[in-house]
Amino acid sequence: MGRDGYLGDLEQMLLLAALRLGDDAYGTRIMEELRSAVGRRVSRGSVYVTLDRMEEKGWIESSMSGPRPERGGRPRRVVRVTAEGVAELRKSREALLTLWDGLEDSLETP
Amino acid sequence: MTGGDPKAPALARRLLEAALPRGSRTEAMLGDLEEEFAARVRTGGRRARAWYWREAFLLASRYTFTRWSDPRDGRALDPRPGGGGGMLETVWADVRYSARRLVRSPLFTGVAVLSLALGIGANTAIFSLVNAIVLRDAPYAEPDALVDVYFQTPGFTHGVLSHPDFRDLIDASAGVFSGLAGSQLTLVQADAEAGVRLLTAEAVSGDYFGVLGIRPLVGRLLGPQDDVAPGAHPVVALSHGFWERRFGSDPGIVGGELRLGGRPYTIVGVTPRDYHGMIRGLEPEVYVPLMMYEALLPGSNTLTERRNHSLFAKGRLMPSAGIVQAQGLLDRATNDFRARYPEAWTESDALVAVPTTDVIMNPMVDRVLLPAAGMIMVVVGLVLLIACANLASFLLARAADRRREIAVRIALGAARGRIVGQLLTEAVMLALVGGAAGIGLAAWSLRLLLTADLPLPLPITIDASLDGTVLSFSLGVSVAAGLLFGLAPSVQATRPDVSGTLRDEAAASGRGRGARLRDALVVGQVAVSVVLLVAAGLFLRSLDASRRVELGFGGPPAGIVELVLPAERYPGPEAMAFLDRLEERIAGLPGVRSVGATSNLHLNPTSTTTSEFVIEGVAPPAGQDFHSVDFARIDGGYPASAGLRIVEGRGFTAADGPDSEPVVIVNEAFVSRFFPDGDVLGRSIRQTDEGEVTSVGVMATARIRQIGEDPRPFVYGNLRQSRPTFVALVASTTVDAERTALAMFDEARSLDPEVMAYSTGTMERHLAVMLLPRRLGAVVVSAFAGLALILATIGLYGIVSHAVSRRVREVGIRLSLGADAGDVTWMLTRSGIRLVVVGGALGLTVSAVVARLIGRLLFGVPPLDLVTFLGVPALFAVVATVASWVPASRATRVDPVAALRSE
Repeated sequence: MGRDGYLGDLEQMLLLAALRLGDDAYGTRIMEELRSAVGRRVSRGSVYVTLDRMEEKGWIESSMSGPRPERGGRPRRVVRVTAEGVAELRKSREALLTLWDGLEDSLETP
Repeated sequence: MTGGDPKAPALARRLLEAALPRGSRTEAMLGDLEEEFAARVRTGGRRARAWYWREAFLLASRYTFTRWSDPRDGRALDPRPGGGGGMLETVWADVRYSARRLVRSPLFTGVAVLSLALGIGANTAIFSLVNAIVLRDAPYAEPDALVDVYFQTPGFTHGVLSHPDFRDLIDASAGVFSGLAGSQLTLVQADAEAGVRLLTAEAVSGDYFGVLGIRPLVGRLLGPQDDVAPGAHPVVALSHGFWERRFGSDPGIVGGELRLGGRPYTIVGVTPRDYHGMIRGLEPEVYVPLMMYEALLPGSNTLTERRNHSLFAKGRLMPSAGIVQAQGLLDRATNDFRARYPEAWTESDALVAVPTTDVIMNPMVDRVLLPAAGMIMVVVGLVLLIACANLASFLLARAADRRREIAVRIALGAARGRIVGQLLTEAVMLALVGGAAGIGLAAWSLRLLLTADLPLPLPITIDASLDGTVLSFSLGVSVAAGLLFGLAPSVQATRPDVSGTLRDEAAASGRGRGARLRDALVVGQVAVSVVLLVAAGLFLRSLDASRRVELGFGGPPAGIVELVLPAERYPGPEAMAFLDRLEERIAGLPGVRSVGATSNLHLNPTSTTTSEFVIEGVAPPAGQDFHSVDFARIDGGYPASAGLRIVEGRGFTAADGPDSEPVVIVNEAFVSRFFPDGDVLGRSIRQTDEGEVTSVGVMATARIRQIGEDPRPFVYGNLRQSRPTFVALVASTTVDAERTALAMFDEARSLDPEVMAYSTGTMERHLAVMLLPRRLGAVVVSAFAGLALILATIGLYGIVSHAVSRRVREVGIRLSLGADAGDVTWMLTRSGIRLVVVGGALGLTVSAVVARLIGRLLFGVPPLDLVTFLGVPALFAVVATVASWVPASRATRVDPVAALRSE
């Protein structure tokens, strides 16, 4: 959520996962991606609440797919990262890179 | 899980739906859960269900807490030191303390929870039925602007319209209605995987979905372009339930094909999940254009015949119009129709408008439905009252046990309010746990009821799901029960008599004000249970009486197949030739003794047919020039196969053909009504649409419309002297009737692969339909009366065992002084029996009044039925003696020395 305008860590991960998944970015797949790519298990509620909040801030947009039989006739909420969302990601990334700068050598794995 | 798709736990899903905000995002969340559940279920159904419950619980609590706190604060669940505190912390402390206390006395907790679970479960189950049938609103857009239109005729205040009248009304509705929706339910034959099956279809007018404001879930719904010319629009919209069951919720089904009545129909779309059709309780599986009605039901003249009333109608008011303008328009239409169509409209016929929001099913049905719903709610309310009395009684007993402890706490400076609060928390927690168990119980019993194979005349569907309304009801009932019935014990326990209690050893004997209150509760419980048991006894006795009625029809076990023989397929004599060949084949089936056919079975709740007769010397009723008499056509084999008995003259024979003299058989009631001299054989009667017919035989009078009716005159026409469209074939059999019916259908199929069969069944089931209301009434009231008896027994047992436990010392002293154990047991038992006698007497007095009130619903039993009024007290005497004696006798088995040392 970024106390001083930077992204929180769950927010970053969700945005990145959504970008990686493209048209396939909906709740179940996003959670799977976090689990398989970085081994992070997040509670379902946190994911939905965070997505709702990011949509309110305009970092993502979501659209509903048509009803699907394997989902009991219910739609998918597919999210897409907006230009603002990407800008936020970049800002956070640069801040982190700046802070990392010069530390790489001293923090080299022993 | 056997076969089919394993389903996610429906109750968990509903609880979740109730907890989450409504909207598409929630739908998507539920979809995610559904998808993952489907993936998990492959590795084990049980684990997948457990997973679903856990996820649903976590998600529901997450959203509930987020809503309570700042929605923008992502850490809403984090504990916030320093924030909140105060009252919430106190409540939390009380909850933990109560939970510990309840866990420590599992027997008390178990019995109290069981009592409440039974009471709240019964209420939840019944309320969810009432909710589904009476309370839940249909999802019409702006329902306040909708008006029901009915056809009124003497004896029928709110009937259905004819198609021609409906079309004329649309043309006349300008300025008042922006549109009119018309529909009628029917059964259509659809191709299934194996053979055919019947679907319930709602045939709808072009503006139907537009006027009601129902939007498609998938594809499109039917519109005006689908309702232009008869037979020209083979399109169909699917109901959500049918789409789910038959097509696995496949959205790609739009454009697909469904064969109805032997013809392909294009599927155009699916209705939303919450729409169940315009006629409550009768949910269609498919929606077809009204203009296809005759194509689906060959031989009907529904679309063109102004005297054929079958259409339900609703109009949408224009913004400028109200119910007054609507009725004004209908009055003008009434006058116009009376003038233009005198053959169909009499001076007493009229159109009436009723606001849709004032109607549940139909104003005439509502008049029966609402009192019935009210009565059954009262019955389950009484059951709950008994359960709550148990709760109060147990809490009083516990409070009495804890008076010393509480007095000490008050003496040490605890605020009375805090202690009352803590005791109340305990009561409410018990009630909530009982409520949760009750909801589970309700879900289980509803599933049992709704999947039971009831012999219904129509496929009634009730969506009695535990939705938000039902769950809030149960929650509210639980909390109210806890607060109301926990309050008296709490106040009682904390009465400011501290020094008295601390000093007074006599408190140990427990015969204070609290004990008297508990006695009163038991008396009340017994009285209410007696009333319910008497009602149940009376209903069971009338069910028994109606089962014993000699029907004069349907005695021998028989298979029944109902066929349609459309005129296009079987013009003229082909229909009769087909029937002849079929009967010949059926007669050759193993076990078949005789076979016959009729145009309408006796005791058919969905259809009675009459014909008009002119009888010389007997004046017709005022205002008519004929007698309207119940009528059906039969063939020669029918009386033997349907258990009818010819008492005079002859039956129909092969000699009575289409070209010979038209003949009829009349029943004895007909003879005594119209030919009191008894001389009827060979007499000629004029049937207005057939001409002169000659009576050749007399049939023993059978029950025609209802089991309890007075003998009704009846005329049996000759099926062979007509061109039958609908026939029921009846074959009496010495083997299994169900199998015979299926074999009959197979024979019909082998003669004509596209034959239209409406049903296959047995005579037993056909007759069971007539008994169903009585059977359901008896079963439901008995179930609740049984529940009341169990609850009252629990209460009685509890109070006697508590009293006994308080008197262990006294018993010890008596026994050690040489008292006889039997005498002591009797002394303790007596206290319980005394309460039962008082309660029973009270209950029987009230029962006598109640029995008179329900007398109208009884059959063959007087309200003050001796068997019931003696049986119920006898039953209670046995139960009460056992419930009191068991704990009492236990007390006398204790070792006197140990008993003296106790306390």
